[in-house]
Amino acid sequence: MMLLAEGLTKSFPGVRALDGATLTLAAGSVHALLGENGAGKSTLVKLLTGVYRPDAGRVVLDGRDMHFASPLEALHAGIGVVHQERNLVPEFSIAENIALQHLPNRLGMVDRARMREQSRRCLDLLDLDLDPDTKVAELSVAQAQLVEIAKALSVDTRVLLLDEPTASLTGDEADRLYAIVRKLTATGHAVVLVSHKLEEVFAVADTVTVLRDGRSVAQAQPLSGYTRDEIVDLMVGRAYASVELAARTVDRDATPALELAGLSTRHGHRDVSLRVARGEILGLYGLVGAGRTELAKALLGLDEITGGEVRVHGVPVRIRDVGQALRRHRIGYVPEDRKGEGLFLEQPITRNVGVTVWRRLARFGLIGDKAERDVVAEYTRLLGIRAASPTQLAGQLSGGNQQKVSLAKWLAASCDILIVDEPTVGIDVRTKAAFHELIARLAGQGMAILLISSDLPEVVTLADRIVVMGEAAVRGELPNDHDYDTVSQRVIRLIHAAPAAA
Amino acid sequence: MKQEDTTPEQPPPARLPLWANPRIGLVVLLIALIALFTTLRPAFLNTQLTLVPMQADISVYAVVGLSQLAVLSLGHMNMAVGRMAAMSAFASGLLHDRLDAPLILALAGGLAMGALLGALAGLIIAHTGVNSFVVTLALDFALIGLVSLLYATFTDGVAFNGLPAGMSALRTDTFADYCAGDVCGPEIPLLAPIALIAVLVVGLLFRWSRTGREVLMAGSNAKAAQLSGIPVRLRTIQAHALSGLLAGLAGFLLSANNGSFSAGVGDGFLLPSFLAPVLGGTLLVGGAVSVLGTVLGTAITQVIYKGLNLLQFQVDELKLYIGLVLLAALSLDRVRHVLAERRGVPA
Repeated sequence: MMLLAEGLTKSFPGVRALDGATLTLAAGSVHALLGENGAGKSTLVKLLTGVYRPDAGRVVLDGRDMHFASPLEALHAGIGVVHQERNLVPEFSIAENIALQHLPNRLGMVDRARMREQSRRCLDLLDLDLDPDTKVAELSVAQAQLVEIAKALSVDTRVLLLDEPTASLTGDEADRLYAIVRKLTATGHAVVLVSHKLEEVFAVADTVTVLRDGRSVAQAQPLSGYTRDEIVDLMVGRAYASVELAARTVDRDATPALELAGLSTRHGHRDVSLRVARGEILGLYGLVGAGRTELAKALLGLDEITGGEVRVHGVPVRIRDVGQALRRHRIGYVPEDRKGEGLFLEQPITRNVGVTVWRRLARFGLIGDKAERDVVAEYTRLLGIRAASPTQLAGQLSGGNQQKVSLAKWLAASCDILIVDEPTVGIDVRTKAAFHELIARLAGQGMAILLISSDLPEVVTLADRIVVMGEAAVRGELPNDHDYDTVSQRVIRLIHAAPAAA
Repeated sequence: MKQEDTTPEQPPPARLPLWANPRIGLVVLLIALIALFTTLRPAFLNTQLTLVPMQADISVYAVVGLSQLAVLSLGHMNMAVGRMAAMSAFASGLLHDRLDAPLILALAGGLAMGALLGALAGLIIAHTGVNSFVVTLALDFALIGLVSLLYATFTDGVAFNGLPAGMSALRTDTFADYCAGDVCGPEIPLLAPIALIAVLVVGLLFRWSRTGREVLMAGSNAKAAQLSGIPVRLRTIQAHALSGLLAGLAGFLLSANNGSFSAGVGDGFLLPSFLAPVLGGTLLVGGAVSVLGTVLGTAITQVIYKGLNLLQFQVDELKLYIGLVLLAALSLDRVRHVLAERRGVPA
């Protein structure tokens, strides 16, 4: 046994995050660490890597008790980690980022040649063909992710912890990442994988530990002994039925609520056409970088439209900004980047939800507190937002609740066209299912929904039709019969098809 | 984001300890300072010598603080508060001197000048995306030159002669000078209610008005504000215009206090403009302001000033101590922020 974490306990004010959790890890294997949001996965990762110190329990590496005082100590002991959040300095080069924690120096100056050579070696380990002098800001999300792994391997790392490594990667990119993970285990590394994507976990992991409420409910079991449903049961602690969404009927002959006709943008979109009817969920699937978010933003007036037409309820429109989209056309946009674009983290829930309705509530430019509270209370209840009080700061909510807050402001503003961009990234299974039900319910009430998602199972679960995008153009459109195997095959074939001749 | 993955049930938000509540702390500090100075120099409570002039100063500098607060709400700075005040005073002086404008028109002209300069700064910041510090610093520099030029052209070089009718009353009179029968007003200078109106209006604006709230949201997260339909550029310009307008008002009040519209109005505005809001709990990063705190912060600064003055400290020593107070306040600001983050309550 290479790494043993035993009886780990850690409390924060008001909550016991870990309660005697145990994790064992063998060399040359991929070990999945699973659990819902709040089960203690990230805390466990942070205890293993010296970010926090445990209240009780011990960490044993190769038979020696470890007491890490800092992440740097853990790294030098051979435990590398790639956290969920990006930890690269965008303005620094790849080489500088990789070498950041242990800059080689000569006479007090950074030895740039050696730094470059070291980082080259790390990149080679991952078969990454990148120039070490490239600034991280210029990399794609997937490349940056791989550079993070290279950085984690830069010291003589033997244990690698990956916290949601594919959250922002597409299927292909994730496959590539996992190929690298397998290569690492073949050379004797041990990998701990934290992920919400069970399909991936089953494809790549050998053994599994499931956390629930801070305790290990399954410990270092071979993953082959479980079915997907059994794992989910362990995670949520109750019999879990996969969501059965109510069937909806969509009148496709009616004038579409939202229609793009031959749209081109300054971002490089060419001839994009799609239509979403009232009560319909259109899944917009594609690789990261396919230009789906950019399309949504151009539609909202944040990027220039250079050709084609946008029609709302059949009427050609030119949308100048989000305010206009909301007021004149009742279009709402739930952005992918919850924390950076969707929420005001230091503001209370009331303000986060109320921001879109102030115009409506204002009397002589002034907003009554009670009127705002009532509106917020209504949507907090409707969406089941769990918070200590309506004045709790958005930054203090769990990921799922944050996403609900980010959505609530558009419902409060009575939008009837909703663009949701990667709505369930980093959200646990149970909350995700609740979210899917919610989106289906909104469509059932007649809302037109454009669902941008890189999560194919999600698209297949929710969408009525699927439009596949690649390289800023529509690759094809297909009806969704909700049969994952056939639909996914057709989608993947579209993705890999050569772009249609322009 | 440790909370996110470790909190199965949201714990009830803990309350900040009392000493970390900036407002209560300030009131205690204010009372303690007054008690201290009164013990050392009983003359500190002398109405004519200390209390009336101190109230006038608090009135002026509270408005100066609000001027900075107006842009701190966005996480911006206005380094040109002093010169905007000077330009505004010039406009008032010119209107009176050349056009014989009455008090109210001179004031309006001054406020318009301030608002216009603020809007100009806001416009440049909103459309170029250049840091507000740099833009307003450059504007300040340009205005220093312009103010001297204008005063050299239109006056004897330093100040306009004479004030509009009624303005000297603002300087010399208190409500005690106005009696209805035997009942006279309190010993409060006539400047005070003008500052009070500014305080109330700014407070109302940021607490209950849509415009003010949207400014705060833009200060909290400009990207999210844009994606929530807030006209961020417009709000930026409005916040800076408000800052200029308040700087203009402060310039007018100080001119009334000094007895002339002069080029030097506003020279001492910059430091106090930051001191009062920051002491009062306004965050430098934007998204949260405290108008009441700004008033308390001003009061404390002026009490320290007057107290040390009575104790016959030299001007340089005064500057030293006030500077130290600002450093202490800024450190406390950081401590408060960290503490609030740890407890999970609004700072």
